[in-house]
Amino acid sequence: MAAPAPSQQPVQPIAGISGAVKRYAGVVALDRVDFAVRPGEVRALLGKNGAGKSTLIRLLTGAETPDEGTVTLAGEALDQSGENRTRQASALGVRSVYQELSLVRDISIAENMFLGAWPRRWGVLDHREMRRRTAEALENLGLFLDPATVIAALSPAERQLVEIARATMGAPKLVILDEPTSSLAAAEVEQVFAAVRRMRERGVALIYVSHRMKEIREIADTASVMRDGHIVSTLDIGAADTRDIVRMMLGHDEKKDDLVTPRAAGKTLLSVRNVSYRPKLQDISFDLRQGEVLGIAGLLGSGRTELLRIIAGLERADAGSVSLDGVDVTGESWAGMLKRGLGMTPESRKDDGIVPLLGIDENTVMTDASAVTSYGVLSARRVAAATRGIVERMSVKAPETTTPIGTLSGGNQQKIVIGRWVYAGSRLLLLDEPTRGVDVEAKSQIYAIIRKLAAEGRSIVFVSSEIEELPRVCDRVLVLREGRIVKTFTAPGISTDDLMTASIAGQVPDPAGRNHRNGTDHD
Amino acid sequence: MTDVTAARAAARPQRRLDFQRMNEIGLLVVIALLYLAFYLYANNFLTFRNQVSILRDAATFGIAAWGATLIIVAGEIDISVGPMVAFLSVCFAFLLKSDDMPMVMAFLLTLVIGGALGAIPGILRAVFDVPSFIGTLGLWSALGGLALYFTDSVPVTIPANDFLDWLGGELFGLPISALVMFVLFGVFVFISRKTAFGRSIFAIGGNASAAHLAGIKVRNIRVALFVIAGVLAAVTAILLTARNGVGDASVSRSGLEFSVISAVVVGGTALSGGRGSILGTLLGIFVISLIGNGLVLMGVNSYLQPVVSGVIIVAAVLLNILASRYGARRNRKGA
Repeated sequence: MAAPAPSQQPVQPIAGISGAVKRYAGVVALDRVDFAVRPGEVRALLGKNGAGKSTLIRLLTGAETPDEGTVTLAGEALDQSGENRTRQASALGVRSVYQELSLVRDISIAENMFLGAWPRRWGVLDHREMRRRTAEALENLGLFLDPATVIAALSPAERQLVEIARATMGAPKLVILDEPTSSLAAAEVEQVFAAVRRMRERGVALIYVSHRMKEIREIADTASVMRDGHIVSTLDIGAADTRDIVRMMLGHDEKKDDLVTPRAAGKTLLSVRNVSYRPKLQDISFDLRQGEVLGIAGLLGSGRTELLRIIAGLERADAGSVSLDGVDVTGESWAGMLKRGLGMTPESRKDDGIVPLLGIDENTVMTDASAVTSYGVLSARRVAAATRGIVERMSVKAPETTTPIGTLSGGNQQKIVIGRWVYAGSRLLLLDEPTRGVDVEAKSQIYAIIRKLAAEGRSIVFVSSEIEELPRVCDRVLVLREGRIVKTFTAPGISTDDLMTASIAGQVPDPAGRNHRNGTDHD
Repeated sequence: MTDVTAARAAARPQRRLDFQRMNEIGLLVVIALLYLAFYLYANNFLTFRNQVSILRDAATFGIAAWGATLIIVAGEIDISVGPMVAFLSVCFAFLLKSDDMPMVMAFLLTLVIGGALGAIPGILRAVFDVPSFIGTLGLWSALGGLALYFTDSVPVTIPANDFLDWLGGELFGLPISALVMFVLFGVFVFISRKTAFGRSIFAIGGNASAAHLAGIKVRNIRVALFVIAGVLAAVTAILLTARNGVGDASVSRSGLEFSVISAVVVGGTALSGGRGSILGTLLGIFVISLIGNGLVLMGVNSYLQPVVSGVIIVAAVLLNILASRYGARRNRKGA
């Protein structure tokens, strides 16, 4: 299906936004945005975190009301507010499928399809009707699953497809897919694509949020690129160059002066060789030296967290080896790795990082009680002294060392979660998204802390979805895509553009004459 | 240092009345009100003899409540206390009766059996992820049955013995069992506040995943908690046997586990884990024990007594929750 620019098409758009402005607590999330999508069009929506993608989607689903401007669906303006607005949007045919799956694990596909709105006869669930309509919806997507199967028995791909099938119920006109392939392996992605094509053939408009250029080129007709609350451009995907798209996503505000000046690194501390973890990681090899900050870039689902968990001994690799100080530690337990000087801060600070009701002090010393106890008895004085040391080193702002950590800001919590490993004397720190949910000032402090810890001789693996921060923190960055290391960049040759291009591109276009700087191709 | 000063001004922690403190003050008020009500409406409530009797009742479930508090703080539950005490009481009586066994061994073996029995739900929970409710439910049923089977539900008389008589009696006018309860109170306050083990329990109850990732030995601690509970059940069983002069299987039907859990929960320990205190449990023990005692003295129909205590316990916890919600809202506004 050819995709000329929307304005040239006589077909009425199925969904339109005009002049929409949305502010959250004074911050402009969307600034006079116009957007339109036609029936049978697959529109990719691109933009880095915070560009305004989710706000745009929430306007279409009726979850948010714009401060200015209008949203029109199937020719009708959304005019309700609150819950009624979502209901109105849904009645007009908007469906959305989010990356966090929203299916109930232990009930059947059929019951999930009608969750909360089960067809009834004489007040009793009409199972036959549910099955019939479920089977129909599944077959429409080319899926042949028994509607009575419970969700728990399905593969991640099948679950994602059931979510999509649920979105097709009741004649949808606009289906929004938010990173539908981020948890899927390459082969399974094909199934999602087949489902998308079938919906397109039936004249459904689709909005496809993703950053995987290869997928976007394969499935989308057009793309809208967002940045800082604006739609920078809406273009025909076939004619667009990946580097141009990256430039539109990032803008150009990279400050050269905060970039890392590389130092002579010490001897090798960690060696990862040919590690595979199906289907997430294939043949990963790299070294980490003393005093080095190694960044790992990659999109959601590229295997970053899995790689850290394998190094930490929390997950077993299918193949390959990990060694620390030249000693093979493949298959070593988590407790064993901690003894050898590893420390890890988890991706989700709230779920796996802090004990919110306990004080900063207890959250700090929990990694090593032996330094502040004698015969198992805690010394209040030593706990307070150790905590004060960490609070100062990490520039944590807190009234008392005993203040419950749950009452601190995200940035200060994160500093303690990192600080507890400094307290424990860890030599190897694995930091998984250490700046997620942290304000701008705390972010730069965390960068400075990480550089300082590296200068002291600790080795750090730094995983981040925010590509801009990698050049400011890392001596070297590996780019993971589809479970492989596709590129390595070394400071001072790390640029946001190159990282983004390598992360999203199916193939990095390398125009003749362009200097590749220090990028090393692994492809 | 300027950071700290600035932040201190911003956060104003002094204005926060923490939940634990508020709860303890509330319980003292409840205890005072119960004293007043029973003084006015029950005969002989304020006599010295009755105060001793309240303490003795308190000790029958109070000793086990220290262990139960830690278990609940860790986010677990133990409902096996009653049958556990009954079975251990029977064991203790049989051990005392056997001729070739020094008395010290009878004591030690009872404590060891208690710990070993506690280890069962502990290991099921820590290693196999069987919920502690199920593990202790199994133990509740099995031990109650075993105690009756071994004794044919006939109390097992223990041989006359001076030390046991002393243990079942009083010292300075106070029941020995109550003194043991108070000594153990001190020990458990210390464990829960001052030891790495105690603080790890709070960390596990507050966020088990974070505790594990920080290197705390979550499994070992979970097993240890249930072993401690088993040993405390054995202590309770020994004191009870000494006082009654018999090993009594019918204790399993006395609902001891409910008194224990009620005391802990009334004491402000959250069933969801992570929050609680031994001091709160001490006050909870007195509330439960006072209610039981006062209702008997008031001559309330014995079938209706549990109804009244049920209502009072739920009301106490409800008040607590409302108070903490109110406190949370005030703190949010103050911040």
